[in-house]
Amino acid sequence: MRERLETMKIAALEAARNAGTAEELQQIRHQYLGRKGELTLILKELGKLEAEKRRQIGMLSNEVKNAISQAITDREEALADEGSAIQGELDLTLPGIPPVSGALHPITQMCYDLNDAFLSLGFEVYAEDDITSEQYAFDHLNFPPEHPARDTMDTYWLKGSEDKKGSERLCLRPHLTGGSVRYLKKHGAPARFVYPGRVYRNEATDARHERAFFQYEALIVEKDFSFASGQLLVGTILEKVFGRPTDTRMRAGFFPFVEPGFEIDMKCLVCGGSGCKVCKNVGWIEVMPGGTPHPNVLKAAGLDPEIWSGFYINIGLDRLVMMRYGVDDVRLFHSADLRFLRQFR
Amino acid sequence: MKVSLNWIKEYVSLPEALSTEQLSYDLTMRTVEVEGTANPADTLSGCVLGLITRISAHPQADMLKVCTVDVGRETPSTIVCGGSNIYEGMRCAVALPGAKVRWHGEGEPVLIKATKLRGIKSEGMICAAAELELDELFPAEDEHEVIDLADFEGQPGDALAQVLELSDIILEIDNKSLTNRPDLWGHYGIARELAAIYGLELKPLPPFERPEELPEYPVTIENPQRCRRYVGIIYEGVASVPSPWWLQTALWKTGVRPINALVDLTNYVMLAVGQPTHGFDKENVREEIIIRNAKPGETLTLLDGHQLELSGEDLMICDATEPIALGGIMGGAKDSILPTTSTMILEIANFEPIKLRRSANRYQVRTESANRNEKGLDTQRIDQAMAVANNLIKELFPGARMSAFSDVYPVKTVCPVIPVKLNWLNIRLGRKLTSDKVARLLRPLGFEVISEGGALRVSVPSWRATGDVNLPDDVLEEVARIIGYDSFDFIPPTVKLTAAVRQPGAQMERRLREYFAARCDMQEVFTYPWVDKRYLEAAGIDPEGCLSLSAPPSPDTASLRSSLIPAMLAVAALNLRYFESFRVFEMAQVFAPGESHPSDENETLPLQKRQLAAAFVGQDAGLLFREMKGVLEDLPRAVMSESLGFAQQEKPAWADPKAWLNILSGDEAIGSFGVISLRTSRLTGIKRATVVVMALDVDALVPLPSRSNVYQRLPLFPVVEQDFSILVDEKTAWQDICTALEKSVDSIVFIEEYRGKQIPQGKKSVMFRVHFGSDRGTLTAEQIDEKMNSIIKKINKLGGEVRN
Repeated sequence: MRERLETMKIAALEAARNAGTAEELQQIRHQYLGRKGELTLILKELGKLEAEKRRQIGMLSNEVKNAISQAITDREEALADEGSAIQGELDLTLPGIPPVSGALHPITQMCYDLNDAFLSLGFEVYAEDDITSEQYAFDHLNFPPEHPARDTMDTYWLKGSEDKKGSERLCLRPHLTGGSVRYLKKHGAPARFVYPGRVYRNEATDARHERAFFQYEALIVEKDFSFASGQLLVGTILEKVFGRPTDTRMRAGFFPFVEPGFEIDMKCLVCGGSGCKVCKNVGWIEVMPGGTPHPNVLKAAGLDPEIWSGFYINIGLDRLVMMRYGVDDVRLFHSADLRFLRQFR
Repeated sequence: MKVSLNWIKEYVSLPEALSTEQLSYDLTMRTVEVEGTANPADTLSGCVLGLITRISAHPQADMLKVCTVDVGRETPSTIVCGGSNIYEGMRCAVALPGAKVRWHGEGEPVLIKATKLRGIKSEGMICAAAELELDELFPAEDEHEVIDLADFEGQPGDALAQVLELSDIILEIDNKSLTNRPDLWGHYGIARELAAIYGLELKPLPPFERPEELPEYPVTIENPQRCRRYVGIIYEGVASVPSPWWLQTALWKTGVRPINALVDLTNYVMLAVGQPTHGFDKENVREEIIIRNAKPGETLTLLDGHQLELSGEDLMICDATEPIALGGIMGGAKDSILPTTSTMILEIANFEPIKLRRSANRYQVRTESANRNEKGLDTQRIDQAMAVANNLIKELFPGARMSAFSDVYPVKTVCPVIPVKLNWLNIRLGRKLTSDKVARLLRPLGFEVISEGGALRVSVPSWRATGDVNLPDDVLEEVARIIGYDSFDFIPPTVKLTAAVRQPGAQMERRLREYFAARCDMQEVFTYPWVDKRYLEAAGIDPEGCLSLSAPPSPDTASLRSSLIPAMLAVAALNLRYFESFRVFEMAQVFAPGESHPSDENETLPLQKRQLAAAFVGQDAGLLFREMKGVLEDLPRAVMSESLGFAQQEKPAWADPKAWLNILSGDEAIGSFGVISLRTSRLTGIKRATVVVMALDVDALVPLPSRSNVYQRLPLFPVVEQDFSILVDEKTAWQDICTALEKSVDSIVFIEEYRGKQIPQGKKSVMFRVHFGSDRGTLTAEQIDEKMNSIIKKINKLGGEVRN
């Protein structure tokens, strides 16, 4: 009888180990431990044995029962662990569910990228109002009284003030530079700050021209600042935008509010300077104007140009974003068309 | 502006080894931007001089002839030609296969191939002037006329560009970069820059020998502020004959059409020294010349046919009876050079630039002359112009005679002397220069430098003295650019660190945008500050109360926004064409009449505020409303501002009568949100969607210096969670339920509202979940029952009954 029990145990454990499904295990449990199972049948014969033998066989059969039961349970757990949370099949090529579809406007994104770079250099972020006066848009910036930009053809003057002069003639700001005088008047020098914003020009629009567009201007004012230090601003912007250092050059350029003034060119990233269609075979692309604040501008801001000097740069954000993404129509930025804007999330 | 290098070389000997690329680069870096270079000969490549030896009829076409043409090869070419003026023995311009021509003078150049024309082979093309873009040099009587080269040297087969002497390098200079440099609007000025850049000698112009013993031609300047010098010279024995070929091509290559010797010489003088001149036919000028403002009612017909009704602001060149030219801009048709002219009055004059520009703008007349005069020219330059003109007249008309002369010179350009401290110059340049070095750099540009110890006195030449150079900083620029900006190494600025940048306002603006976009699933948009009156009306805003533009982009968009709501409506309508539901926001300034003084008390600007606006578009108005409210409720914590409240205080014009709230900071309404009214929907053109909009005054949000919320201790013992579904009166607000229960529970969360078949009219079912527990221990069954009963009692007191 002992032998039968041992043989049955080996067979049962073997069967449990090899079972592949929960049903098979159920079958095994039934076959050995069920009411008409093999173990039960053996136990029924116990009564025929003498007391001592019966006790020994009884103990053994209990062990065998536990071992088989344990083996089945272990196998059941193992089988359950191998299973899947997915019932049926899962198509792994189905698209993911996007978190949110909102995003900042691509120009805001660019602006914040630049802010981060300048904040790390200790610059402040400043903003001037959209409506300004001729005094701040032109007079303080050394624009001669008859400069063409002061015409209605170029600048959006406010109705009722268009025939007045100076501080009484109001317009949507045609550039950001007037804001620099406001900042310096309020905070004095030394100063380093950026002042991004939207500017307005009265002109015919097409894929490359807009009436409202964004500029990013930065200004350092320090004692005896050499224009040769202005490269810092230029390099900061371009490296941020293009993700790597870019070769630049400064050449003669004329703007009323700077002296000396520069056009700043960047080595063409498409051809590396050897000349291609993008750079019109020049090897360089004009990216921004810059220069030392004109003494008259510093005077307008209440600073002594004998002492103070500095460097401006002004870059068109629309054009940078167009270059970053290959956008071919500047008017899309003000279109509020979500088919366009959602591409930049 | 087009600049011919051949012409430049008459004034400065450029090194043979200097490449066009290097010259363009140096000029671009130091002076003006060279946008491109071209050789006029290049377009004529593949074109040669041909000799027509035989002409026969074309068997298939009456208008065509079959020509045998010697093009310098062993066997002559057969070319089919429809030219109206061809003859045997004619020297003509032949485009050989491989050359490019402009078909009938129009469109893009096309490649010439050997081909068959109506069955006869044709090995090239006998060209008309327009086909080679030479029509200004060879004006044709009719369109079938081909170029006749009878007057030109050369053998059959010689390159056409060589026969016509057209090889040159033309620099295309960006006019924008020339606006502040009136001295560079002639070849002599550019030559001076190149001489300075390369350290070469600039050849002097011939001196003008002032004639003696000549009668004075009567010239009167009535307005010396406007006309600062007027020279009139009478030349007898001249004629309107074609100019010599060198003069015609010199003008043509620089973009000026040759006309006749008298007109061409005035243009040549202008292109040489930048000083505009004009010729009158003396026969038509009555007695004298008077420079005065136009009188009321006077008119003038310009050379280009424009008829002007003159303004009293226009400065006119007049004879004894009437205006004969719009001063410094364009001559009149009647009295300028005519085909019959034999005696000319040559005018070389200096005008005040600002008012001249106004006159040119008044009549939209753009001329090369106005272009230069409005930059502000020096009066001294007239001496150069007289010399160049006089020499050229002697060359063109050896028999001509100067018979009268007048030089009225009331105002002379003043040349400033600028004191510059050498030490200041060196600090700002970031390098050490001696006064000698400064003088050597500046002298070739015409500046004289006197050094007295550390102080320099820099005399400005007249051609730079009309506004361009008058400060030490201008001198610094001259020194730096001639050294070359690319020769200055980067100098890292020294920085004094004081305190960290702290700008709670700017930071909150950024957090607002990022909260909306990144966490609230809203797309940022930009719209114009001028708004279409259609959307103003839809938003219930009176355009009369808005600021407006004097010259708006269009008559319908004259108003400047006083709110972003009209823009949100427009954006919603636009995007409903492509999307069913979406969320957008914009932050921008809005404007209102009023007074603000951001910088100066004497500068009064209107009221300008930053506004934040949003639109949620979808189907379920109640849901959209609650979504918008949720965004606003979480906003203060996300952007670190003081908390916001909600109440109905003043209904916005665009809002639905039921679904709106003002947004409060303290007790003050700083914005509002709500479902747009059916009227606003209709006027906006929105049909199958619901829109919730919001506008908030950002400047009224008070940024907090730091986070304000505090940590809540986690419960120590199990918390009971219980859902209730209660039946209450429609008028019972959620806030009433919260107020009734807030003392009995730890938290109460809304789940849903329900109205339907099982719910009686005037009632609604509200489902919510409450949590309660104790800090002292786990609640017993009795304690829980007691709590539940107290909650139910409070619900009953509110007039509600528990449904389950």
